[in-house]
Amino acid sequence: MENKEVIDTLSEIRDMMAKSSKVLSLSGLSCALVGVLALLACGAAQYVLSNPSWMHYQKVSILTTLALILLVICAATVFLFARYKAKKNNYRFTFDQTSRRMLWNFAIPLITGGILCIGLIHQAHYGLTSSMMLIFYGLALINLSSYTFSSTKYLGYAQVILGLIDFMAVNHSLIFWAIGFGVCHIIYGILFYFLKERKGER
Amino acid sequence: MNLSLEHINKAFESKVRLGIMSALMVNEEIDFTTLKSLLDLTDGNLASHTRSLEELGYIQSKKQFIGRKPNTTFQMTESGKAAFSEHLKALEDFLKISLGN
Repeated sequence: MENKEVIDTLSEIRDMMAKSSKVLSLSGLSCALVGVLALLACGAAQYVLSNPSWMHYQKVSILTTLALILLVICAATVFLFARYKAKKNNYRFTFDQTSRRMLWNFAIPLITGGILCIGLIHQAHYGLTSSMMLIFYGLALINLSSYTFSSTKYLGYAQVILGLIDFMAVNHSLIFWAIGFGVCHIIYGILFYFLKERKGER
Repeated sequence: MNLSLEHINKAFESKVRLGIMSALMVNEEIDFTTLKSLLDLTDGNLASHTRSLEELGYIQSKKQFIGRKPNTTFQMTESGKAAFSEHLKALEDFLKISLGN
């Protein structure tokens, strides 16, 4: 047996282990784009909040709708970029065991946090929602990191820490939200794209 | 060098079987369809390889029905784990020795 043959075999084994247990089609660019969308949404939210002509309850319903629209657009962005990346790299892109497991583990903290936030809004604790979103989203990312690129956990840690600081500091919710969902996503997405994806292509 | 070659398992010389074992090494269990798309194989091809690995006692299958569709999942056995680990170690040892020379 040749050396090269053995090296190839070992790398095939490693690739198969990674491919079968992790979803590798998530794209760094979509992460950065999600960050940009989040910043735009923050701008819109700031505009709504500072507009004196709307009543309080109107603002709440506008912001909630805005958040839901943002969520759908972001999910679609991540999905479409992942499909494109899978096609380009000849990865399989199916709703199989591996991707189901990834989505489920990402969803558990996210749904828990989502229900908590609905409860908080319902009880008019608006200031707490941003920190809860950051904390639970961060936990979801940390959970996700076992099922996709492990570096997503660092983005998760950043979100959790920001969420906790936001929880302590009163009245700056939107800024923390913008840093967490906007700036952090953009930085992580760009770093990931240049350090991991571009490198891998070469 | 001969010593480490002895431990290289003939059962894992086929790429497909190596792929099946690698995937099962890091997953508790994998169903037939997922394994098929991972390895990019036809039903018959995958079935013949899983059957021979089952006969060797390296993997075990579990058949169940989801609605009306039959669904087979595969798991690695303890002896499969041991055999594959030994195979991996043999490959690594082979590299170490030949790179050392």
